[in-house]
Amino acid sequence: MAITRKTSKTPRKSIEMVVVAKKKKVSTALSTGSLLAYVLFGVLFGYFLSKARATDYDSIIDMFMFKEFQLYGVIGVAILVVAAGLFLTHRFKKPTLSGKALDWEPVAFEPSRLIGAFLFGAGWALAGTCPGTVLTQLGEGKVFAIFTILGIGVGVWAFQKWQPKAANDNNC
Amino acid sequence: MNFFHQVYLNLFANTWHWAVAGVGIGLTALALAWFMGKRLGVTGGFVDACSIVTSSASSSWKIWFILGLPLGGVLATIGAWSWTLTYGRLDALVYGSIWLKAGWLFLSGILIGFGARWAGGCTSGNSIMGVALGSKMSILATLAFIAAGVIVTNILFKAVM
Repeated sequence: MAITRKTSKTPRKSIEMVVVAKKKKVSTALSTGSLLAYVLFGVLFGYFLSKARATDYDSIIDMFMFKEFQLYGVIGVAILVVAAGLFLTHRFKKPTLSGKALDWEPVAFEPSRLIGAFLFGAGWALAGTCPGTVLTQLGEGKVFAIFTILGIGVGVWAFQKWQPKAANDNNC
Repeated sequence: MNFFHQVYLNLFANTWHWAVAGVGIGLTALALAWFMGKRLGVTGGFVDACSIVTSSASSSWKIWFILGLPLGGVLATIGAWSWTLTYGRLDALVYGSIWLKAGWLFLSGILIGFGARWAGGCTSGNSIMGVALGSKMSILATLAFIAAGVIVTNILFKAVM
């Protein structure tokens, strides 16, 4: 128990650390309580994505054709809420309630990443879904989401093969 | 009775106004930061899930987080839940063929996964968290997401259809 607590506090596992963990056979498991908390956060996020109509193919298409304001509104309000909340805790220098530091460092700007962003945008429009909403679609009973999920897995794997040294970025 | 039925439908079947749903998503992301000290992001869950399948057995909070997403989808629609093979206007685009639809979604998924990983995040990590944190990379990536989406959608539904 002590070991799992200690290791679960490490903010970010670099490749080297994972290798060390494997060699030393150190358990990197999360405690059951925090594990359930993360599942609950996933449930909440999926629930609100579904309520936002972000899991609907036609909504994504109407957003990109500027026929519907719905999803621009959802993303805009979500950004404002997060920005305002983080600004307040930062402004009054309150530590987070968990006592853990936030991963603040932004991902460094690299022009080549915008190519990836264009590819993602094209995929977003073609499939009418993004990585979070497609998993939620599966729960809604939209069977065909499974093919998009498999594709995303292959795409992530292919990138890892192409750029094996790329770190798992903070934004991911 | 009518009132409670309406509440039930709104909780477990209907979709919501953008402002209400947006506040919900924002508060979830905020709570994840405040209570757990984590930055919202879904693509990382796919990355970690992949690394478990391929070799290293690191356990990650992101895998547990994305496991909750389908459950959220069930909860949001449980009042009118059913399996469906339909996929909105995509059905007309693939002439109703399930094989074409499966292949279409699989290939689009590869673009999504590869692109999100390259861009350093998807809609949740870059467009919501990254932009809220004022990251230049995330703001430019989000503009690129939307630009590509607008171009592709308008070619598909205006030029082709």
